[in-house]
Amino acid sequence: MSGTISLESVSKRFPGGVLAVDDLSLEVEPGEFLVLVGPSGCGKTTALRMVAGLEPVTSGQIRINDRVVTRLPPRHRDIAMVFQNYALYAHMPVRGNMGFGLKMAGVPKGEIRRRVDEAAAMLGLTELLDRKPRQLSGGQRQRVAMGRAIVREPSAFLMDEPLSNLDAKLRVEMRGEIIRVQRRIAAPTLYVTHDQTEAMTMGDRVAILRDGVLQQLGTPDEIYDHPVNVFVAGFIGSPSMNLITATLEGSAATFGGSRLDLPRRAGLAAYDGRQIVLGIRPEDFDTAGAGALELTTNRVESLGSELVAYLDCGQPGVEITARLERRAGVEEGRPVRLAVDLDRLYFFDPESGAAIA
Amino acid sequence: MTSIGWRIVKLVAILAIVVWSVGPILIGISTSVSTQREVNAVPTRWVPEEPTLNAYHDLLGGTSSQRAGGTVTEKGTFTRSISNSAFLSVVSTAIILVVSTMAAYAFGRLRFRFGGALLAILVGTMIVPIFVVVISLFKILADHQLIDSRRGLIMVFVATLSPLATWLLYTQVREMPAEPEEAALIDGCARWQAFVRIVIPQMSSGIAAVAAIIVLSVWGEFLIPLLLTSTMNAKPVTVQITEYVGKYTTNYPILAAAGVLALIPPALLALVLNRRITGMLAGSS
Repeated sequence: MSGTISLESVSKRFPGGVLAVDDLSLEVEPGEFLVLVGPSGCGKTTALRMVAGLEPVTSGQIRINDRVVTRLPPRHRDIAMVFQNYALYAHMPVRGNMGFGLKMAGVPKGEIRRRVDEAAAMLGLTELLDRKPRQLSGGQRQRVAMGRAIVREPSAFLMDEPLSNLDAKLRVEMRGEIIRVQRRIAAPTLYVTHDQTEAMTMGDRVAILRDGVLQQLGTPDEIYDHPVNVFVAGFIGSPSMNLITATLEGSAATFGGSRLDLPRRAGLAAYDGRQIVLGIRPEDFDTAGAGALELTTNRVESLGSELVAYLDCGQPGVEITARLERRAGVEEGRPVRLAVDLDRLYFFDPESGAAIA
Repeated sequence: MTSIGWRIVKLVAILAIVVWSVGPILIGISTSVSTQREVNAVPTRWVPEEPTLNAYHDLLGGTSSQRAGGTVTEKGTFTRSISNSAFLSVVSTAIILVVSTMAAYAFGRLRFRFGGALLAILVGTMIVPIFVVVISLFKILADHQLIDSRRGLIMVFVATLSPLATWLLYTQVREMPAEPEEAALIDGCARWQAFVRIVIPQMSSGIAAVAAIIVLSVWGEFLIPLLLTSTMNAKPVTVQITEYVGKYTTNYPILAAAGVLALIPPALLALVLNRRITGMLAGSS
């Protein structure tokens, strides 16, 4: 039961003229968990709804398991979808909810019972099969929605922010659970979220969408280590990457009152004497080492295991975020000298936002 | 102190409302078990000294025009009028519910040409008082031999009440989340299957409420059946009751008994559906 989901140059223009998805192409490999992530309004849910058949496609082609489904109604696409608000059938018990798809497909009653029981056991829902959705907690409803999707044994799974209605602790728990179930079913899964942590922790690969345009598609590590532009760099990672406009003079970048001697980079030569956007991840600061910056601490947040310090670099409107170890010795209102891991600096073109090689 | 004063004000207000609405019914019941003589007695007797079911007997069992004191109570006319009312209410409501539920869903969920304009026109017809169209209505029905027929009345009721039902259900459809239907579409339903299996159960509390409103409206309708009926073929109880008001004398016990009997079916319905509606509202998640 391993298929693929593929979008080829798919676009969606709403009747009002808004281009929600612009020439989107991507393929979910057999068994792959692909996360489509972006800020709200970026077109990710529209893209998912087009794959589901709930939203007509303006142009382009969608294939599921190598079968063109672009114009097919949802019921003929052999997919299952988990909705953000679970979308359970309020008038049916859990068993009825989970077995509904099989019933519609004309599967014999005994077989439905067997498959629902099996899925319920996998999700720990056995005790709840006779309850109505309103008698369940949020996490339990979420499981039922998952169960309803998996009993169908579809060619592909679609998930639309399924965890965003849960509290933080349960969300972390369900993340693991969804991944565990998906690995077991091994059907290609397209998962939509606005939460970059979910994207990074769950996705085999992550696709980042902005204003309907695909920015980057790759494994979480690839995207983290090599963001293609300023948007991806700022979107992925928590706390976000520091993005500082700096002036390049020879082999040094200056901003505010600071000066950093940069390692040699082929792409940077063309920017001599011009501005660049310098990217530094918060965890690439340290209290000891080369390439130091003189900063003033504005505010310190303790996370217990480490500190997050917000620092003033002398450039108006720019606050630098640094993740430091607990005993870093930073104090609010005091100057501090922080080293930067020079090999892990990022450079972007200030106009296009594209990464400089 | 203010809270006690406020509670007294509230209590008085509630009592006033109860007396206002229940009082006439109690007087009606009391009158219906009195004799004509007691009704006319001075000073007024609120509770009859010798309660009697004669008026009910005359009304349901039929004839005894002497005892009825001039009022004509032919055997079976009253029961026939009750059954006319029941038939008109049930059939009109059934048709209206089928038509309006589907129309409300279409207006609320589907995008189609002139959908908004059609809905506006439909709702707009509610502003037009029935008196304005009653003459042309009479002529149309007469041309099609539908005067004094239950069929004709049902057509008029469906036409006049379905805009209200559609509007009420439309607002409900707009408030309902679309996801369960979408889940059903993905789970293998065609649009109509999702409508029947998921949407209608979701709307059941609203449908029950609208059903109650329509049944009660049809049951209480007076002017239209007065104009469009002439015999027991189709005459509902609201019109039949007026027959018990004589030109020179009126048999008040019979009139009151007719009123009490006409009240029972809608009262029972309101009771049953009220429980259902509150139960559903409390249980909806």
